[in-house]
Amino acid sequence: MNAPATVDTAVRKFLDFTDADVASYLETCVHCGECAEACHFYLSSHDPKYTPTYKLFPLVKAYKRHKAPLSSLKKMIGLVPAELTEEELREWEPLVYDSCTMCGRCTLVCPMGIDIAGTIRKMREGYAAAGIVPDGLKSAAENAERTGSPMGVTLKALQAQLAHQEAETGIRIEIDKQGADYMAIFSSMETMGYPEIFGAYAKLFKRAGLDWTISSEAFEATNVGVQMGSGPLAKKLVQRIVDAAERLGVKYVISPECGHAYGALRWAGPNLVGRPFKFEVVHIIELIDQLRAEGRIPPGKKDGRKMTLHDPCQIIRRGGILKEPRRLIADAAENFVEMEGAGVANLCCGGGGGVSANPRAAELQKAAFSFKLDQISKIGGIEAVVVPCANCRTVFEDGLDEYESDLEVVGLGELVADTLADD
Amino acid sequence: MMLDIHGKFGAGPARVAAALLLAFAMVLAIALGAHAQSSVRPPSNAVTNVTKPVGGEVPGNALGATSDGEVWGAIRHGESGKVTIPDGYAATLIQSQGQDWRLLRDNFIINYGAMLILAVIVILMAYFAIRGRIPISGGRSGKVIPRFSLSERVVHWFTASVFVLLAISGVILLFGREFLLPVMGPEAFGLVASAAMQGHNLFGPLFLVAIVAMFFLFVRGNGYKLVDLAWAIKAGGLLGGHASSGRYNFGEKSWFWLAIIGGLAISTSGLSMLFPDFAVETVAPLVGGGMAGRELLQWVNIIHAVSAVVLIAVSLGHVYLGTIGMEGALEGMTRGTVDENWAREHHDLWHAEHEGASTEDVAMAEAKAAHGEV
Amino acid sequence: MTFLEFTEGPMWYVAATVFVVGVLWKVIGLVRIGHKPDIAPPKGSAAGGFLAGNIRHFFPRGLFAERTWMHIVGGYGFHLGLFVLLVFAAPHVAFIQERILGFGWPALPRWGFIVAAEVAFAGLILLWVRRISDPVMRLISDWDDHVGSWLTFIVMLTGCLALQEANDALRALHIFFVNGWLIYFPFSRLMHAATFFLSRGYTGATYGRKGMTV
Repeated sequence: MNAPATVDTAVRKFLDFTDADVASYLETCVHCGECAEACHFYLSSHDPKYTPTYKLFPLVKAYKRHKAPLSSLKKMIGLVPAELTEEELREWEPLVYDSCTMCGRCTLVCPMGIDIAGTIRKMREGYAAAGIVPDGLKSAAENAERTGSPMGVTLKALQAQLAHQEAETGIRIEIDKQGADYMAIFSSMETMGYPEIFGAYAKLFKRAGLDWTISSEAFEATNVGVQMGSGPLAKKLVQRIVDAAERLGVKYVISPECGHAYGALRWAGPNLVGRPFKFEVVHIIELIDQLRAEGRIPPGKKDGRKMTLHDPCQIIRRGGILKEPRRLIADAAENFVEMEGAGVANLCCGGGGGVSANPRAAELQKAAFSFKLDQISKIGGIEAVVVPCANCRTVFEDGLDEYESDLEVVGLGELVADTLADD
Repeated sequence: MMLDIHGKFGAGPARVAAALLLAFAMVLAIALGAHAQSSVRPPSNAVTNVTKPVGGEVPGNALGATSDGEVWGAIRHGESGKVTIPDGYAATLIQSQGQDWRLLRDNFIINYGAMLILAVIVILMAYFAIRGRIPISGGRSGKVIPRFSLSERVVHWFTASVFVLLAISGVILLFGREFLLPVMGPEAFGLVASAAMQGHNLFGPLFLVAIVAMFFLFVRGNGYKLVDLAWAIKAGGLLGGHASSGRYNFGEKSWFWLAIIGGLAISTSGLSMLFPDFAVETVAPLVGGGMAGRELLQWVNIIHAVSAVVLIAVSLGHVYLGTIGMEGALEGMTRGTVDENWAREHHDLWHAEHEGASTEDVAMAEAKAAHGEV
Repeated sequence: MTFLEFTEGPMWYVAATVFVVGVLWKVIGLVRIGHKPDIAPPKGSAAGGFLAGNIRHFFPRGLFAERTWMHIVGGYGFHLGLFVLLVFAAPHVAFIQERILGFGWPALPRWGFIVAAEVAFAGLILLWVRRISDPVMRLISDWDDHVGSWLTFIVMLTGCLALQEANDALRALHIFFVNGWLIYFPFSRLMHAATFFLSRGYTGATYGRKGMTV
């Protein structure tokens, strides 16, 4: 991570990460510009430089010069682009980090089906290796290196929050329970900002009779390595969870209501540590939905507020958990309305992919969030929005403050716990 | 043009039949070669009436009282007879208007059309040589105002591309035989003409699409107003003094309406020639044209050529003013924004309305223009 | 050797060889870059996703259609028109039968050709005009985009100019540009016509493994 900011390092990483997928994307893009119309950063600014495919240009340049099939032939007649320069790398840094939440909405509109979000993720490996990373992410990464948590959440802080929730619900939450079936991990935003989620888990799992625990060594789910593009850091953070889970001998690890954490552990995780896990990764929404289907957490009195659902990109569009949250909300809310583009095509909150951890991107994020807010306002009369991702939720609460909206934000786990049938 | 058959020839279909037979024989004779005809002319005292009428004289005095010269003269002037085959046009042996059409086209349209186009070119060159490029009088302000949306620009350039292709191929078709053939020789000209015809026919229908789209996108702001009269009297400030105008000035509005009306005339006439059977049999009766097919198509051809020549001539002026003739004009159609000083100078009323949109952030102004905030 | 004999003879063989070898080289080269094996337990089928991704991205999503109509109209018009011309124009069917496959199929009637050509030209002009007018398009376009558009336009134009089929020189001109187009193809963005199934497919496969609906 502290490697010298050399073009060489970045280019080498770019090329390493250019697999057949990325290469075919870069070959196939016909510069049609459609992706701009799907990107909330472009839509909220109308600045052409926020066109998603334009954000890939440094990678394209390196690929066309060094790796594209037939490039050696083209090189002979001087038809390959010049070598990437450090100025270009630095010029593109804000585009790669500040103006992309890796939400993947651009892929939907792309006639070639190009996964720009996934390619940005790979580009960030080059940037991180060359040390060209926004300060906000750098300090989050340093925190994570030191404590395992980007916000530096300590075990003591967790214990304080747990004690409070235990008092509130009257249910004990056992830490480091050897041989439990499930081990839950949490986003640091949940631990610090929305500790009610511990109470919600306790209530739901007690009713379902689920044997669960929290590890004192690996309770943090956020993977800043994935956000920043640092493979080594991402691996280290996943390894902590894997080690703890395998030491406790759990059968399942529950990924929380947090976007990138799910992909980092469920899909990238085994590839980062280089072996399959000895446990299964299950998302909290999948788990609650399954418990509901099995009749172990029967629904009770519904919430009467007019509600809608924000689809967190990494869970719904890029995670495939599309129907589960809707089934759960149908049981929990009396007056549920979908917004335009609900589901896979929903707009991002504007703060994913490390953008919310990057103060330099605050203005961009705020402008992008105004689009999200418009989307909700268009329905009319919405009192509460269900946001099943702790990071989105923070972005929502900050944004709603900024725009002086009195919309309420609720987590899905809490909503289900609050509307559970009485014993 | 039509003659009263009974009056001129006397009564009886037989006379007409005889006239037709005669004419047919003559046409056949012409086709077989005029010299052959003259070389087998019988001596004046020969008995030519070899096949005598059977059973005495043919009723109705078949040989008639009209001389061959008169019959031929009538036919030459478009006289038509009767035929029993479905194609009614076959009854007219010589559609005389064709001669008028040919004379009009060759002597009038080609000559004066070429002169008009050349004159416009010469005037523009002279104007440029004398007056030079019209500068923005206050210089560039550095601030721009969005003027044309992306849709407007795309439709404009779409129309322009198709127009240029059609104009080039059309000019070759109209003037080629007169001006190119002597220079290129028949071999090369045959090639160019064949290519021009195919290209012209192919791109033609697209022009109608373009003109219709053009109308809907540009009609806003192109209605004439009182201020345009003042502009016209001052000749747009060419004669000195300031001429006020809104979004478009009198000249631009007139060009718009000319392009729309001329464009529609060109398109509909062009389509009629591209699909002559459909035009004559289906469309002409619907619009109440009592004209015979060939006559209709001859008129259509004239309309097509005249409006095309006029549009090409005026478009040269439009292109001149939009490019090298005036500083600051082209960017409105390329980038979608214009300099504030240009707007103040040439479209003061429009500028007054859009002053608020003026900005130094050129990129943002272009983005706004692209998204229709004009 | 006449110009026509040259363009239909030696030049055609060279161009066709460059085209076929170049395209194969590139597509195989892309696939051979490969990827690291994915050891995360799959939730669905990658192969199914590859196919689904290919089919799904043929159709625009309604949500975006209003914003991107110009591209949808131009893109579909041009590609469908060109495809019909390429495969069903009578001279093409004859050429394919005599020079490439040895068998042919029914060709379009003349009016069908005209309609397809109109649509293809309108689409291509629209796409290119948008490319030079839209700030986004101006920023992301490079010379390859313009050369590809123009070369394709000239090939289509010369083809239509030769429509009378009465002139060897016009036919030769068309085939000359076709040859140029074939040679340019594997080295340019025109290659998207041969690689789109990979980019759609790879994304689809990733989604498919994750059990996602694309």
